[in-house]
Amino acid sequence: MVEPGATDLTLDSAPLLATEEHEAAIIGRSPWYLAWRRLRRNYVALGSLGVFLLIVICCSLAPVYAHHVAHSGPNDVHAGEHVRVSGKLRSVVGGGAVYDPKTNTFDVKPVVYLPPTWWHANGRFVLGTDKLGHDEAVRLLYGGLNSLKIGIGSAFLCTFFALVLALLAGHFGGWTDWVISRFFDLIWAFPVFLLAIAIGTALQVNGFHHFGINIEPGSLWIPTLVISYVLVPYVGRPIRGQILSLREKEFIEAAIGQGSGPLRVMFSELLPNVASTVLVLFTLIIANNIITEAGLSFLGAGVRPPSPSWGNLIASGQDQIQTAPWLCLVPGIAIVLTVLSLNVFGDGLRDALDPRAKVRLEH
Amino acid sequence: MTAFVIRRLIGMVLVLFAITVLTFLIFFATPGVDPARQFAGRNPDPTTVAAVRHQFGLDRPLPVRYALMMKRLFISRDLVSYGNQALEVVPAIKAATPVTLSLVTGAAVLWIVFSILTGVLAVVFKGTLVDPLLMILALIGISMPVFWLGEVANLITLDRWHDTFLFSWVPPNGYVPLTQNPWQWFLHLIIPWITLSVLYIGFYARVLRADLLEVQSEDFVRTARAKGLSPERVMVRHMLRNSMITFVSLFGLDFGVLVGGGALLTEVVFGLPGVGKLTYDSLQTLDLPVIMATVIYGAFFITIMSAVVDVVYARLDPRIRPT
Amino acid sequence: MTGKRRWGWLLGVVAIAAGLAMMAAAFSAAGTKSRAPSNPQAFPKLRAVLDTIDYLDPQQAYTGQSWWAMWNVYETLLTYRHVEGAAGYKLVPGLAQSLPTISKNGKVYHFKLRKGLKYSNGHKVVASDFKWAIKRGFLATGQGVGFYTDIAGAKAYAAHPTPNGNISGIITNNKTGSITIKLATPRGDFLTILALIFAAPVPGGTSPDIQNGTIPSTGPYRFKSYDPNHSFVMVRNKYFKPTKYIPRGNPNEVDVSLVGDADTATQMVINGQADYSNAAIPPDRIANAQSKGRLKLRTNANTYYFWMNINESPFNKLKVRQAVNYAIDRGKMQTLIWGGLGKPTQNVLPPTYPSYRKLNLYPHNVTKAKTLINQAGANGAKVTVWTRNVSDAVDSATYYTSVLNSIGLNATLNILPKATYYTTIGNVATHAQTGWARWLEDYPHPLDWFDVLLNGNRITDQDNNNYAWYTNKTTNKEIEALKKAQVLTPAVNARWAKVEKQIMMQAPWAPWSNRTFPEFFNKSIPAKCIHVQNLYGIDLARLCK
Repeated sequence: MVEPGATDLTLDSAPLLATEEHEAAIIGRSPWYLAWRRLRRNYVALGSLGVFLLIVICCSLAPVYAHHVAHSGPNDVHAGEHVRVSGKLRSVVGGGAVYDPKTNTFDVKPVVYLPPTWWHANGRFVLGTDKLGHDEAVRLLYGGLNSLKIGIGSAFLCTFFALVLALLAGHFGGWTDWVISRFFDLIWAFPVFLLAIAIGTALQVNGFHHFGINIEPGSLWIPTLVISYVLVPYVGRPIRGQILSLREKEFIEAAIGQGSGPLRVMFSELLPNVASTVLVLFTLIIANNIITEAGLSFLGAGVRPPSPSWGNLIASGQDQIQTAPWLCLVPGIAIVLTVLSLNVFGDGLRDALDPRAKVRLEH
Repeated sequence: MTAFVIRRLIGMVLVLFAITVLTFLIFFATPGVDPARQFAGRNPDPTTVAAVRHQFGLDRPLPVRYALMMKRLFISRDLVSYGNQALEVVPAIKAATPVTLSLVTGAAVLWIVFSILTGVLAVVFKGTLVDPLLMILALIGISMPVFWLGEVANLITLDRWHDTFLFSWVPPNGYVPLTQNPWQWFLHLIIPWITLSVLYIGFYARVLRADLLEVQSEDFVRTARAKGLSPERVMVRHMLRNSMITFVSLFGLDFGVLVGGGALLTEVVFGLPGVGKLTYDSLQTLDLPVIMATVIYGAFFITIMSAVVDVVYARLDPRIRPT
Repeated sequence: MTGKRRWGWLLGVVAIAAGLAMMAAAFSAAGTKSRAPSNPQAFPKLRAVLDTIDYLDPQQAYTGQSWWAMWNVYETLLTYRHVEGAAGYKLVPGLAQSLPTISKNGKVYHFKLRKGLKYSNGHKVVASDFKWAIKRGFLATGQGVGFYTDIAGAKAYAAHPTPNGNISGIITNNKTGSITIKLATPRGDFLTILALIFAAPVPGGTSPDIQNGTIPSTGPYRFKSYDPNHSFVMVRNKYFKPTKYIPRGNPNEVDVSLVGDADTATQMVINGQADYSNAAIPPDRIANAQSKGRLKLRTNANTYYFWMNINESPFNKLKVRQAVNYAIDRGKMQTLIWGGLGKPTQNVLPPTYPSYRKLNLYPHNVTKAKTLINQAGANGAKVTVWTRNVSDAVDSATYYTSVLNSIGLNATLNILPKATYYTTIGNVATHAQTGWARWLEDYPHPLDWFDVLLNGNRITDQDNNNYAWYTNKTTNKEIEALKKAQVLTPAVNARWAKVEKQIMMQAPWAPWSNRTFPEFFNKSIPAKCIHVQNLYGIDLARLCK
């Protein structure tokens, strides 16, 4: 992928990089520009970023798809309807046991769910139907939208809070560091599912309407806030570690010696130096959060039915895993693709920003 | 070192206390949760409900109830579940622990062996197709949600291909104690072991590979090769040893989390009655005593392993001082 | 180069070893699947799989699963016949010599205990043991005590229960074996209440602490062991003497495993690791299971319905409630939720009742429903549909929400945890508009339904069971009057049917199904050996091989 030696930030590499610029004069470039150049040449990473963006765009177009192509909302039940597939009329949910009132017995027959029509029904039920007659393809896209919203939103919140806490802990040290580290311990030791279920349950009946904040029960904010809260230590600890080692460097001493206050030191000196770590962690934590949200929704503590999310689509698909395995497989594949593309891109980003980075995401 | 241990112990106790208080508050703040009503059956008289409430001390103020629960959990150890008064909480956790330990230890063995193998192979075959292939596989392993992988495993082994010779030996989901039937214990756990370890194999293989590559360019490795030592000896005795620091510390943390109930999803999907499943079931039924006990159990393990890891890390790498 | 080859060789060895291990596992385990056919007469051990039970204590157990086992362990004064069909609802003497004599005002019941009765520990059963059982229920605040508060002196006893205290309404004589029960107010369902396992006599002085499986039994079996949440074992009670109505029981021993996962339970039966399971097999797997075992379907007395709170808008308008009843496609719902294993219904009572007259007041008509909503001016009304976090409840409520949206309301679904659902919707402060509910009968009497669920006089602000908050002067009065009827004569049944029709015309409910439950047996159990007792399920005592 990347030739050794060509991209480290040493004096030796300047001529190598300069040859790219057609033997022009050697100009000093900012690390960001150099990183961008490295990234640009990493086709695999760019490709996977493309895949991720493609997934995001497709999911954002869910309402368009629902309205114009599938003619069905994500929560619409079409159980009693019939659909023309390749000319043949099929019922969306058919079969099932038949009751004979004369003999008072049931003739047990399997229930038949419409399998994926792969566009033979004019865009309806492209991925088939689930137990209740929903259009799975519409639910997959809306589910992706919800999962991505929660994943990206919580990544922002998480990174922001982790950064603030890590800066404070790393810069001030001593008791502040001890308290914040124990705070990280506290969050880490608190099982995420417990917190999600507990808060979700507590807010279930009435929601949260205090301090000017209005959260309806079943709102997406609940899993978002829970996940961002719970993953603060994951992001916070590596950043804190890096800040602690940065703090020993001379330029920080110099800045403090010059009379810079703590805020200035944190923002002007420490922050830019951890920026690349933060950026990489942010990408990786989106991936991690998508999987966490899927797990929460699978257990019923994340996105509440009937709102779809990839996690609860898998959960409801497992009831029909024998007769309609695609219901469980497709959302899972969607998760794998999204997370994989983010991970590959995150790797490429890390290679580009700091090829010798030791930063990794702790589980 | 002693100062460090004492500081960490104090920290641990504080953390546990804070967690129990938080758990207690969250659940008693939940509207509709009324254990007395749950006990009193389907058509309770108001007098019956009041009597039950008094019997369980549910009409006392919150701090008193908290203290009572902690006393019954730790001192008299006779805390009973809200869902089933015949179920004592501490024995229930004791019964669930071997299941979780079996699952996590087996998976840990698998993931240690295979991640070291994968990481080493990736470094040995660096430059050929094997390295990126292994790393892509590792990335795919990290990207799969463990519960989905478990469902797919169940689909393949218990349903679609169950009748072929490949998977006919796979027993239905559940757990058989080691003391009761070792062979069945093993058979019941193979698929869960593999499922749980896939994620960690991927992660640790990448970690190890990165560390090995870093170590590879160190001077002492070059010296060892120059002295004529075989590549295997160099790898095992010199490179691996120096790369294992991060591996060991991360392993300690992950193992602690899993034993403390973090294997929840795997246990639920495969129907293994471990601590994770106990936590999940108690959350479904809002059974506060069991929730309390599992939370404390889990938090205890996680914080202890975190402290142990810090100590081990400091011993292994003298440059680091534990904080 | 050498290094790579060495590692490659190592990898190859590992791969081959793994493959050999797997094949060894496959071939060795394959041999354990077949079972030798057993002697068709002897039935040494029945291995059953149940979902969960709450208790094995007669004064505490309140789930169908527990009662299934305990009916054969703890006998009551009156019991039901071990036969199929409607005859299984007939009350017959259990521990009593005969059906009781009842005074003209319906307040005094007189029994005589059979002679020579013994517990499973050899001790004699005496008349005062019945009184102790009732007292024990109050002392232990058992889940069924509410049924017995109409006995004279019971309410006073319940306020301050003590072991030596007295319930004045129960008079027993151990020498003659006579038991006389006086009621404070007469109730027509008292005999069926006496047949509940809550009233099973236990040795005098048995501690009120919960005892799962250690209380001596009077039935054909006794409990040998109980491992909470895991299993329990029943063996023969050697002191039991079979009677005309209570048979000896075929299996020598019953081993029950408690497995929560329906798939695992079904798989265990298919594999031959268990003989019987009554797990709720998921609808899409029932046809498959039927081919691999023996499936018996059992419709017990249950009704699944959506209640509509007549005090909350928009359901305070009759037209809206009627519209909902017209809008739901009950036939399709059976397929969706149960895979077809259910019967559509518009009645309160299930068809097992002699008073049942099938109602079809609201044939499926979505257009009419929309018109009614328009006429009521309820278009766009915000509705929250409540349900509990159990898969069939979520599914049916999801469908219901979608239907409400399709007829012009603005409905959203709110799923509550199982543990808090009934307390929340039973609390007037929630202002719950509509939601899911079901009722499984406690005992076979219409009062168990109408009095508990639809009697306006019994509405409470908290822990209310009448989720529709339904009250109506006429029907309330009639229910109170019918409470006093001692016997369910055809005339009384006709009055019950009339009350039911009047209530359904007010449409506080949208009932939609009487569910049928699968009972799944291993192929080795012949169909003729399977008997279904309507109240207690598969007749354990008559299962044969």
